[in-house]
Amino acid sequence: MAQRKKYFDDHYDVVIIGGALAGLASALTLANKGKKVLVLEQHNLPGGVATSFVRGGIEIEATLHEMMSIGTPECPLKIRKFFDEMGVDIEWLRVPEAFRLVEPGLNVLVHPGDHGNFETPAKEIADACDDKDGSVYKKVLDLLNLCNRVYNSVNELSIHPMSKVMMLLKHGDFVKTAGYSAKEVLDTFHLPQKALDALSAYWIYVGSPLSELPFTIYAVLMADYLGYGSYVPAKFSHEMGLKMAMRAEEMGAQIEYGQRVDKILVKDGKVTGVRTAMGEEIKADYVICSAYPNTAYSKMIEPKSEVPEGAIQFVNAKDVGVTCFSVVLLLDDDAENLGIKDYSTFYAPEGLDTDKIWKNYATEGPWKYITSICTNIANPNATPKGSCIYSITALPQPKAWFGVTEENYDEMKRKNAEYFIEMESKRLGVDLKKHIKEIVIEAPCTIAHYTGAWNGSIYGYRHTMDDHIVARLQMGEKENYIWGLAFAGAHAISGDGMSPQVTNGRKAAKTILEFMEEKEGK
Amino acid sequence: MKVKGFLKDVGGASRVTKARQKSWENASKEVVTRDPIGEVARLLHPGRFEVTITEIRDASPTARTLRFSSSIGHFPYFYAGQFLTLQTKVGDSLVTRPYSISSSPEDTRGKDPFVEITVRKSKGDGFFCDYLYEKAKVGEKFLAEVGLGEFHVDLIRDAHDVVCLAGGSGITPFLSMAKQIKAGKLDVNLTILYGSVSEKDIILKDELEACVCDKVKVVHVLSGENPGWKGEKGFLTAELIKKYSAKDTTYFICGPQVMYEFLHAELKKLKVPARRIRFEVFGQARDITKFEGFPKEKADKTYQLTVVMGVHKETIPAKANESILVALERHGIALHNSCRSGACGFCRCRVLEGETFVCPNNDGRRAADKDFGYFHACSTYPLSDLTVRLPIAE
Repeated sequence: MAQRKKYFDDHYDVVIIGGALAGLASALTLANKGKKVLVLEQHNLPGGVATSFVRGGIEIEATLHEMMSIGTPECPLKIRKFFDEMGVDIEWLRVPEAFRLVEPGLNVLVHPGDHGNFETPAKEIADACDDKDGSVYKKVLDLLNLCNRVYNSVNELSIHPMSKVMMLLKHGDFVKTAGYSAKEVLDTFHLPQKALDALSAYWIYVGSPLSELPFTIYAVLMADYLGYGSYVPAKFSHEMGLKMAMRAEEMGAQIEYGQRVDKILVKDGKVTGVRTAMGEEIKADYVICSAYPNTAYSKMIEPKSEVPEGAIQFVNAKDVGVTCFSVVLLLDDDAENLGIKDYSTFYAPEGLDTDKIWKNYATEGPWKYITSICTNIANPNATPKGSCIYSITALPQPKAWFGVTEENYDEMKRKNAEYFIEMESKRLGVDLKKHIKEIVIEAPCTIAHYTGAWNGSIYGYRHTMDDHIVARLQMGEKENYIWGLAFAGAHAISGDGMSPQVTNGRKAAKTILEFMEEKEGK
Repeated sequence: MKVKGFLKDVGGASRVTKARQKSWENASKEVVTRDPIGEVARLLHPGRFEVTITEIRDASPTARTLRFSSSIGHFPYFYAGQFLTLQTKVGDSLVTRPYSISSSPEDTRGKDPFVEITVRKSKGDGFFCDYLYEKAKVGEKFLAEVGLGEFHVDLIRDAHDVVCLAGGSGITPFLSMAKQIKAGKLDVNLTILYGSVSEKDIILKDELEACVCDKVKVVHVLSGENPGWKGEKGFLTAELIKKYSAKDTTYFICGPQVMYEFLHAELKKLKVPARRIRFEVFGQARDITKFEGFPKEKADKTYQLTVVMGVHKETIPAKANESILVALERHGIALHNSCRSGACGFCRCRVLEGETFVCPNNDGRRAADKDFGYFHACSTYPLSDLTVRLPIAE
């Protein structure tokens, strides 16, 4: 036998499990500080679900709807700022509109404002409500401005924490709304139902019904999307993951693909390294884990006796967020010839009641709230002329798929996909089935297969009043159950969404830097 | 701003913190490992596993069918038309090759699950194919990956009437489809137009006949001199294809590379829309030096290929007229691969230094990947000394 080849250095400061957006943001942050970083990604691509695939020679976006927190080059928001600081140079394309919402009795197209000005979306929403005296406009604008103040507070407080009294003085609206659900705060505005619905459409991006969703999260979502607009990378979300990975490598990080980590090695409550599926033991002082804490604490920590009871309670107290069912179509004509005008459409065929839809999302389908994206509207060169990408997505709860077996999987997929295509064909007035060049169905198992995500969840832990972002931030420090181990991914504090993954990754890097300081301090 | 009153409002942050603390305190201390969605995903996509030849039988005077059992007790339920890969060491080489599965997906569901492939003796240019045909024995083991590729009926995308255009060993994926239809598990009308030179070249003839039913029709088309042959003669021409097509038909094409070009032109005559034509991937280019843009003066050159895997480095020779994947295989360097046609992207690597040529027919790279020197090793050829970075593999 030939001598075993040596692929890894003897020791790394930090091993990062998972090269998706969060892990890569961690890698960038730590490599930028001169730390010796190794990223181990099980798939052969960076980016996690931020990826694309090629069918019949045509590249197709796999998952990205839109990126928040980008902003303009002149007034960059936090994600663009971070990428600028790190030298990650992405070609951003502005998404022309915010969304179209269609439900019985309502069909409204909403555009975002600029630089935190909400007059445009407020006006469009008010107009859809037949707002004769301007009172609806004023209320909607008031609400969106409130959202913006809370949003600004969240951004500032995440950088400069301050005392409770100071917080109340400087960030009163943030403090005063923190204890309430989105529904509770929205109710105080006494809006007409149609306006309320238009202001609820984005709920799917955080995957929690408004009665359970912290207003704080709602405010961030609304202010960012409606006040600043959204963006997509010119070369699909793969451009983002790839460029982050390339920069991290330039800064000295080692990134290895096709490397699944099976075990996180722990001794006396401290991380000592990892073991890969190939059997390589790699020594490291710190580990950032992108696998769900559920996976880490139940299957990865070695020995099992090193898993504290509190960590088990931590994951058991969480409500695992939504998974994804997406039908991605390559159509054989230009969007305009097919009558597709909008980039992003939310469609609630039986009305937009988020509590009702949430219950519907717990069933095997058909699901009654879908979001459709036509990539080419924001990115006209995405595919060759005479074709376009159209995706239709619902975000059911994992338990909706617990009855799915290897035997009925295909049928379950097809049934729901057919329903989606029919529903959208009716709405658009074009028989999409007659234009399908390629079809790819991304089901919860697809997510679990490519990313290893616990129960195929893409949203981490659900934002609820029992697991509130404000509480997460206040209690976060106490939740490092194993010294030297941090988590980065949708299951981390900021929750789901591609932009929040960058924040989650940076936060994990910060936690590791704090561990390092603590060690040096001793 | 006031929601429910000043005191209640300002107490919100501590209220939600207490609520979260309480939900943690009330949570169970039992470790939960249940991940039903992950478990189904692992059944559907078990990755690479060991398979063993359990049976070898003749499929024609020049073709053999090999049956495999699974070391993991099951096979993933693949789509009829998909292929599997077999990996093994032949001498110093580590070889992986794709083969269309000729057995039915339903055969993965019985008490003794199996898959079958059918290999034809090559014309001297398919060394692994010949190995399987001539040397492989019952009991021999391979590393396999089952259920790959996009060449299968999609009931949403495709027409209810499907016409398969097959040549040579390109019949195998269609036999799998025919078997599944016959078993009542795939609801399309299938007509197989199978072109061969003479009757003795037809492979899997009996098995195809056994599938014929209301929904499966098999038409042999012979191109050579065949006295006494009463069936269809000549090539798979537009006229012949039209005769067996419904108004809305999806065409599946699998056969030798020359057949693709011929059939493409024939289907064009029938004004078949592009979305109704499905090709199996081409496989590696037979002769890359014949492609436009390939520098002819480099055709016979051999270069130094430096391979970086993690912190490991080694240098091997690589011929300009062989893909980088083949160079790696010749030296026993493992690189996960499947379609060998540039499409699946499993063998994605990166050029750190040097010049390459990408086969224009097999360029399935992502746009951003192209910007950073990423390439698919099966469809990329060295044009200078090269340094490439590969994923670490055993």
